Amino acid sequence: MIRRVIAGTKRVFGLHRPGHNLAIFPDDVFLVSYPKSGNTWTRFLVANLLYPDQDPNWSTIDRLIPAPEVMSKRRFERMPRPRVIRTHDAFDPRYKQVIYIVRDPRDVALSQYHHHRKRKLIEDNHPFERFLPRFLAGETNEHGSWKQNVGSWLAARYGDPRFLLLRYEDMLADTRGELASICGFMGVEATPERLSKAVEQSSPKEMRKLEQVQGDQCALTKDTRQDLPFVRTAKAGNWKSEMPASSVAAIEAAWGPLMKWLGYELVSGSQAGPADSTSISAIVGLER
Amino acid sequence: MMYGAKRIAKYLLGSDIAGRQIAVRPDDTFIVSYPRSGNTWTRFLIANLLFAGQPISFANIERLIPDAEAQSSRYMKRVPGPRVIKSHQYFDHRYPKVLYITRDPRDVAISYYNFSRKYRHIVDDYPLEKYVHGFVTGTLLSSGWGTWAENVGTWMAARSGRPTFLLLRYEDLIANTQTELDKAARFLGLDASPGELSRAIENSSADHLRELEKKEGDVWVTTKNKRSDIPFIGSAAAGKWKSVLPAAAVEEIESTWGNTMAQLRYELVTRKAESMETQLAATAVLREQGQ
Repeated sequence: MIRRVIAGTKRVFGLHRPGHNLAIFPDDVFLVSYPKSGNTWTRFLVANLLYPDQDPNWSTIDRLIPAPEVMSKRRFERMPRPRVIRTHDAFDPRYKQVIYIVRDPRDVALSQYHHHRKRKLIEDNHPFERFLPRFLAGETNEHGSWKQNVGSWLAARYGDPRFLLLRYEDMLADTRGELASICGFMGVEATPERLSKAVEQSSPKEMRKLEQVQGDQCALTKDTRQDLPFVRTAKAGNWKSEMPASSVAAIEAAWGPLMKWLGYELVSGSQAGPADSTSISAIVGLER
Repeated sequence: MMYGAKRIAKYLLGSDIAGRQIAVRPDDTFIVSYPRSGNTWTRFLIANLLFAGQPISFANIERLIPDAEAQSSRYMKRVPGPRVIKSHQYFDHRYPKVLYITRDPRDVAISYYNFSRKYRHIVDDYPLEKYVHGFVTGTLLSSGWGTWAENVGTWMAARSGRPTFLLLRYEDLIANTQTELDKAARFLGLDASPGELSRAIENSSADHLRELEKKEGDVWVTTKNKRSDIPFIGSAAAGKWKSVLPAAAVEEIESTWGNTMAQLRYELVTRKAESMETQLAATAVLREQGQ
């Protein structure tokens, strides 16, 4: 009861976090991804592009491109439109304009493992083989499994002109090009100089430098181990050297067809995968 | 502002609708479907198996298998576990166990049209074609559940092949009620004899439900204060679209949702599915479930 009164009082003043009750406008753009898939980097890229004069950094990013679970309802109401909002939610029909970032689940698993160390959820010597089954079952965060998150969005929206699917790996390989796609999607005119500047200011090096001084000012990194960085390697393919072969095989056995459809090469040879022409709705319906 | 104050007061008292915010328990089972897809019928079938000692009606169904979209969070909290809960939600990763009922969207569209008239959302002579356009493009009130394809698609994408997910087709339920109900019963961990199954089916027949609706339609939360000249229990048949739905509406539905429909073995009449593999994969999904 007391808890409800406190929560109710917060609501009166609009200080609560709206979460799923967020009032959505038709021109809102959502930056969506499964956790540890490049969402924060994309946020910096977009913020540096759209709001270069507002000094995007770790202390301002929660305000510039907020998350419904982190920022207050009042803040959301006062944002200039069109708003860019970030979320890790699985499919939500109210989100009409969506930029979805997907990342190789083998790298996501590793990144999440290290993130759990940073958040003091596991010890440094926690074996990865013990972490992985929980990752596959979607128990390592509050957003379900990688397959459920990616699959629900692709099943519902792939092919819709208001849905932009980006691969983290492609963004790494050609950051400027992919940021230009985001501009096109959002209807933002950007000069080559502006693009280059946004890319530069969002480089992992730049983000790490800022994180070192502002790590305690962002909801993502506050109250976590400061000896481990949030911005880690920012690379693709770490799993090849860091992940036990049995774990690679387990991930591919669970999600092989969807990984293959997304262009992530399977190495454990556990399955042939579906034909290339198979529709996404059939693929995501295939495995667990 | 008044509306805001009312909402806050409701939240404080716990009388806000549970809906998407429902507090999920690990032993919950959800009966999920898009609206107008046989959820109420399934609820009665299951309730008649689970609570065989009492006559099931619209007067007690909300207590036995509550509707998370119609009941408050406080009400849902007081339902003793393990709960069986009715829901129309698109994929929610928190739902531990899901019985999903899907129905041919061409029939869903017609049924929804009549339901919208009953709820006074549209007038009687509202053009069906225009309604279907809104239904497909997700601009009706129903789009709060996602579109038809978004709703079923997200559940299949996330849960197919898991032992905690059972997908049943309304059309199969109509054609082989006993076999399909047996699957649902086993999924719920019930060992029902053929006699018990038959009895549940009899007590949930469309005729019987229509009779109950006539008597109790004005007390049931879903039909209260709605037009009583249009029944909630519709034709309870499959394939009505063939005679009722305009060709252009059929084409619009199939051109938008064809792949998902083919995957669920709903035969397309205006186009072919994207590829043979789609159909093969679909058969594989259903075979996996032993259908």
